[in-house]
Order: sequence, then C-alpha cells, then structure tokens
Amino acid sequence: MSVTQIEYVEHQQAVQIISRVFIDDIEDVLEERYDTELFLNTKKENSEFTRLLERYVRKKLNIKINGEKKEYVFVGKEFEEDMLVFYLEIEEITKLDFITVENLILLDLFEEQQNIVHVKKGSSRQSLLLNEGESFGMLNFRE
Amino acid sequence: MKYTFTLCVVCLIWILPTHAQTPQNPETNSATPKQRGHSNTNKFRQMYEEFSTPNIFRTASGAPGPQYYQQQADYVMDIELDDDKAKLYGNETITYTNNSPDPLEFLWVQLDQNVRAKDSKSPLIEEVPLKPAERPNDLVRKFLEEPFDGGFNIEAVKDKNGKELPHTINQTMMRVEMPEVLKPGGQFTFSIKWWYNINNHVTNRARSGYEYFEKDDNRAYVIAQFYPRMAVYNDVEGWQNSQFWGRGEFALPFGNFEVNITVPADHILDGTGKLTNRKEVFTDKMMERYEKATKSYDKPVLIVTEKEAKAAEKKKVTTKKTWKLKAENVRDFAFASSRRFIYDMMAVKIGDRDVMAVSMYPREGNPLWEEYSTKVVASTLKSYSRMTFDYPYHKAISVHAKNQGMEYPMICWNYGRPEPNGKYSDRVKYGMISVIIHEVGHNFFPMIVNSDERQWTWMDEGLNTFVQYVAEQDFMEDYPSRRGPADKIVPYMSGDQNFIAPIMTQSNNIYQFGANAYAKPATALNILRNTIMGKDLFDYAFRTYSQRWMFKHPTPEDFFRTMEDASAVDLDWFWRGWFYTTDYTDIGVADVRKFHVSNKPNKFIEEFMSQVSVDKEEITPLVYIVEDGGEGSNEDERNGTAQSNSQTLKSFLMDNFSKEEREKMKQPKYFYQIVFDKPGGLVMPIIVEYTFADGTKENVTYPAQIWRKNDVYVVKTLATDKELTGIQLDPNMETADIDLSNNMWPQSGQQSPFDKFKEKVKE
Repeated sequence: MSVTQIEYVEHQQAVQIISRVFIDDIEDVLEERYDTELFLNTKKENSEFTRLLERYVRKKLNIKINGEKKEYVFVGKEFEEDMLVFYLEIEEITKLDFITVENLILLDLFEEQQNIVHVKKGSSRQSLLLNEGESFGMLNFRE
Repeated sequence: MKYTFTLCVVCLIWILPTHAQTPQNPETNSATPKQRGHSNTNKFRQMYEEFSTPNIFRTASGAPGPQYYQQQADYVMDIELDDDKAKLYGNETITYTNNSPDPLEFLWVQLDQNVRAKDSKSPLIEEVPLKPAERPNDLVRKFLEEPFDGGFNIEAVKDKNGKELPHTINQTMMRVEMPEVLKPGGQFTFSIKWWYNINNHVTNRARSGYEYFEKDDNRAYVIAQFYPRMAVYNDVEGWQNSQFWGRGEFALPFGNFEVNITVPADHILDGTGKLTNRKEVFTDKMMERYEKATKSYDKPVLIVTEKEAKAAEKKKVTTKKTWKLKAENVRDFAFASSRRFIYDMMAVKIGDRDVMAVSMYPREGNPLWEEYSTKVVASTLKSYSRMTFDYPYHKAISVHAKNQGMEYPMICWNYGRPEPNGKYSDRVKYGMISVIIHEVGHNFFPMIVNSDERQWTWMDEGLNTFVQYVAEQDFMEDYPSRRGPADKIVPYMSGDQNFIAPIMTQSNNIYQFGANAYAKPATALNILRNTIMGKDLFDYAFRTYSQRWMFKHPTPEDFFRTMEDASAVDLDWFWRGWFYTTDYTDIGVADVRKFHVSNKPNKFIEEFMSQVSVDKEEITPLVYIVEDGGEGSNEDERNGTAQSNSQTLKSFLMDNFSKEEREKMKQPKYFYQIVFDKPGGLVMPIIVEYTFADGTKENVTYPAQIWRKNDVYVVKTLATDKELTGIQLDPNMETADIDLSNNMWPQSGQQSPFDKFKEKVKE
C-alpha cells in the first residue's frame, strides 16, 4: 500500500506532493526493473538509487491539473521507519479546479497493490483509492 | 454591590467587547427573527440516549449484574481428515445448557462453512465492477469457473435417542427444533453428522483450509470454523443469529470440548486443549524432547526437526492415528495438521504457572520461524498478562500459514515467509512478529474476554491492537509499530468523509476495515492512556474491565462504563467523539494579542461610562488594561509591571496585603490574550508549549472540558513578566491533530512538513 498526500498551497501557487511507500516494496520493484541491487537505508546503499527512483516515479505517477499534464520537480526522498518518503512539487499553479492523478507505482510487481491518494485544497479534502483496475481518478475542487 | 458592578465592567471589556461597544436597542431587537430553541447538543452531555438502561444483568458501573448469565455449549466430536480427497468428516454431540431465565423453543447453530457453499449469498452482496484489463486467473475465477463447493453437507441432526430433529438451514444459520421447550436451567443434548470439501486457503482466501505444496504433493491444514457451532443467546441480542457474510467474525458461547481427530499417522497435529494421549501419538524421541522443552525457559526445543519433517514429506504413510484433545472453558476449537510441520516449544512462567509457547511451521518458514515465533509467543503472553490477567490456558500455539493471520483459543495462524533462498527483509520479519503478537493476543480479546465480533469488530480488534502496541514496545525498544501512535491515524481521520464510518458501526458495514476497527480504536486507547487519563488510571481501569469480563460476554457499554467506574474520569465526551462520530482533531491558535496595565482610563471605559451615565467618581477605581501599541498605550508603561503602572492597584495592594504578602506576589508586565479555535469536531485537551524571550518554555495542558461551553473557540490570558515569543500546540503530536498549519504562533515561523523537507534538501 502507498499513501500520497497532495496539497494545493495557494500562497505558494504550488501543488506539493508527499508520497510514502514501503522500503521493501520499492526496493524489490527497482531491483527487478533495473536489474541491480540497492541495499536501501544501509551503509551499502547504491548511489544510483535516487536517480532510479526519480526515473521510476516519473514513469508511474502522472498528474494533470485542470486537464493539462504537469511536470513536477523531484524535490527529494528520505526514510521514515519502514517507509520511503518522496517529495514532488508542481510550480506555478494559479488555480486548481480539477486534478487527475494516475498512480501506477508498484502495480508492475504487486498485483494487490493499493495506492491511496488524498488531495487537499484549503479546507476541502477528497481521496482516491487506486489499484490495478482503476489506476487513475479525477477530483473536482471547483467552488 | 458596587464591587460586583466593577467586576462586571472588567469582564465585559475583554470577553464581550463588541457587545459592550454597541448596547442592544430593544426596538431593533424585536425586528430581527427570533432565535429558535434546540435540544442538548453539548459534547459533554452524558450518554443516556446512546446507552441502554442498566439492569440486573449489566450494572451501571459496567460490571456483570447480580443476575448476569451465559449459556454453555459442550461438545464431544469425532473428526476425520481425508488427506487424499481433502475432505473433513465430523460427528459431534452438543450438550446445551440454558442458564437464561427464558424458555427456548428452538436452538440456532452456526454453519460457517456455508459461506463457501455453491449457493452462498456472500459473493452476491459484493460489487463487481468490470475492469479494463484482468489477469487471466482472476477472470477465470470471476466469470468462467463454477464456484468451489465448500458448504456443509449435514447428514443428520438427531436427539440423544437417535431420533431425527426437524431443522431448517437459512444460509449460515440452522434452526434446530426441540421436542419440547427448553426450560431455564434445562439441558438438551443432540448430535450432528456432517462433512465438507476443504478449500485451498491460499488461492481461495479464507481463514480455514489448506496450503498445497506442489513440489512434494503435500498439504498443510489449518482448520477452523469447521464444525456446526452453537450461536450465542444472551440478554442483549436474544439469539445472535446475524448471518456470517465472511467479514464480521464470531459470537460463541463458552463450553468444554472433547475432540478426537483422526489424520494420517505421519501428521503432526496440535490444537485447542490438552493433548490427552500424548504418549500414543508422540514417538519416544518426541516425548524426550517435549520433557526437555517443559523445562526450557530461555529458548525453544525442537520436538520435530526440519530434517525429520523433510523425511516425512517424502515418505507419506497410509496408516492413521487419532489425536485426543480436551479443552475446558473455551469458546471455540481449531487445529492444524500436516506431515510437513516442524514443531518447537518452550516454557514461559506466567504468575506461578508454566505455560507452553509452541510453534508449528513448514520449512518454507525458516530461517525466520525457528528463530522468532516461539519467543514472540512467550513475550506476548507476558505482556498481555501484565496488562489484563494471567493467561489462564496451558499453552499458546503459533502456526505458519502462508498469507493469513487468524486467531482461535490457544492456537492461531500467522504469515511471514522468507524468499525461497531464505532471504527476508525487515518488513517481512517485523510483519511476522507483529502478526504473531496480534493473533496470540487475541487469546485475551475475544477468546477470553468474549465480545460479540459479529456485531462489533473493534471490541476485539481495537482493544487487541492497542495491547499489541504495548507488547511490541515490550518486545523491543522503538519497535516499528504500524498502529498505535497518534500521528499515524491522521491520514485516515483526515480522509474523505464519504468513506469513513464511526467505530460504532456493525462489522459488515465498515469502510477501510483496518483503519476503522483496528488502528483508530487502538490509537484512541493510546491517547486515553498517555494523554487523557495517564498510565496508572488507565491501566487499572483496563485491567478491571479485562478481569470483570474474563470468561464472560461484554458489550461496548460495559467497556465504556468500566473505564469511568474504575478511574473517576468522565469519558462520555471521549467515547462520543472518538467512537460514535467520524469527527477529527483540529485545534489551532487563532489570535494572540499583547496588553499591559495602564493608570489612565482608556477610551473604552470612558465611552462605556458615558453610555450608562456614570461619573468617574461614582465607581470604584479600576485597573485599566490597554493593548500594546494601541489606543491608550504609552511608552513608559510598556515594560512596567502591573503594580508599577497602576496607582489604583498599588493602593489596593497596600490597603489589603502585608508587605510580606505583597513581596510574594507575581509582578506581571505583559498580558497575552490568546484565542484557541477548533475547526475539528472532536473535543480534546489543548496542549500548549509557550516559549519566552529568555528561551524558557512552559507547558500547559488545558483539559478537554475547556470546550464545554464553547465548541468553536476559547480565550485564555497569560500574565507574565517575560515576553512571549512563540506558541506551539500539541508539540509531541499526541492528539492526532489533522492540520498542523494552525498549531503555531507566530505563523511566520510556521513550516509545513513539505517546506521543512525542501529547506533541508537545499542546505
């Protein structure tokens, strides 16, 4: 299971994304995809990890704002107990009426993977439960 | 009277400034629409409407009443496992004792296996959306294959004289009609003969069934809910004959069991109860190792080794052997059997008794299982015994089933399997340790504190997940617990309200099952223990509940009432908010203003006096308070103490207090008026950390009752001789506050977790 928190921060005109996945899961999927060994969160950690993670995330997590596909800045990653947390930011968003999130992360390895997406704009909150059958969803935040 | 009058003036200044500035005109008032009345919506009102009236069965204190009763169901069963065809045959005799004051016309027996009958209605109540793409095996299972025929075949229902009894099967419930009414205190004995096809619990996800090992054509059976079981009859539900749909688990009466299970002679079997023919079914070598295990308190002793299990899986004998188990005062019976099982045990001291911690696992579980399972069982029994009561049974078994965790009296199934090469990650390891703690912990809730799972999943899962957290932290310092800490429930509680149900929701109708029935109640109890009640009061009350309802059937109210009864902490507001609603915690700092004392009457008081036509000379002298830098504030007074700024105050002190008394008094310079608001529906304590200019901090907790008269915002004034530089709410994240952006003053120093990370990365 992964949990992704997306927030539209109006005063920064930015959409900020924090995503959490289990370290083991992401390790398994990246090792298999890119045929490497990663040793995540250990002294032996492969220096290629962040680059591979970014490459993978960019392929699997796609966001459209008001119908238009948006590129994001890969801000970074950190470890938190058994979770890997990564941070993405979409800049220069002057308004957010609709957001479409496609999250295919880990679905290529785990058939029962569930990706939960929470989106917050001001005091309004909506969620998506994504899995293999429904890998994307749109939320309406128009006031 | 004058003194009272001046006091009122002072209150009005700060609490109702707008009212005081614009006195109400009775004429304009009559033109505005009249306010409507309302019923009591106060969040601290007592739960008389939600709770049933206490009675002779269940008292207002939450204890069993003077006429509390429970039914008894005793079983004698002969079971045979046909390993070739994967069928299970049983012949059982039930002796049912009616301890209730009610005459019973019929009995209800639960046929759980019918949830897997060909005509089961369970699949019919599940939504099946069509996906744009399906894996072939899923498509076959969903749309092409005939459903597995796993329901009960009831061959006979007879009284003790062998006479057929009329019976009616309604899905998973069977009504058995007795020749005459079963009077209070009466007993009725009848027997049921049955068989069913055992399912593969790995491919056909289930709590009971077998795992198939293709490479050597063997099965490992974990068998439960396998025999027709008496339903509960009690003072709360009458017959608890709500159908088993697959999710809401079980409601079962206590009883004694004598069970003879016949399996292939090379199987290793264990289950609920004492093995009464150990010498017949154990080899001499096993007996010798068993004796050694009963005296081994520090590490498990192998009764069957991996090498021996591996030899058995190849050989496959055709003879049979019968294992005899006898259990007293249990609510259910389950067993596991396979020739592939490795088997180990150690002793653990509980009070002054020895209990055996036991594990059974196929070699696929190693090296993880031989290292951890039995030790975790032992540690769990100790932690739970400390939190509740001494574990009363003589053993607890952890069986390795590939991908499920499930509990029965004295025995449970647990997942956690290394890769085929024996490699395992921390996640698999801690997942396994956590599930063993959880399932062994279920011996306490609901196997012994026997709540109704069909109705209330949280009563066993929530309480058990709470104690699981305590046991995990006992097992290892800083154990990576998934559920328990307050901040971990925030993503759930801040989620879309369309997919959240109150904890007090019938088990079949819950959204987000794990978060709702496990994590949220466990978190709520952690918050009660750490933040609201304190460990001592909480632990005493929690033990009182466990001991009052040990070997009995509690309801949610019995729990809620006992926690108050044994602690003198009024918790109705907490139960109402956390258990009966989907409200969340969100408390913020809405406004902070700085004031000082002034000697001169300020504009407000002058206007007020002219409006009520009172001369300055007519009222008792007042101490005036003005906003720093605002109207009436002057530079000389800004950093003076209240005493030095106000002659009125100084004279009052000199007239009424001795020098010694005056010297002991505080000399505040600054008065901060702080408004706390509460966008969230839950009432919770306001936990505040004040930081002052000299770097010192002061922590204050305003109890939840601060919200009793105003659910929207509350005002506090801090009088201090040091300048206030910062306010942080809930600094240790104890309340599951879903929005931290309003938890800090000043706001400029405020950073979201995202911005904090971004800054960290830049450095």
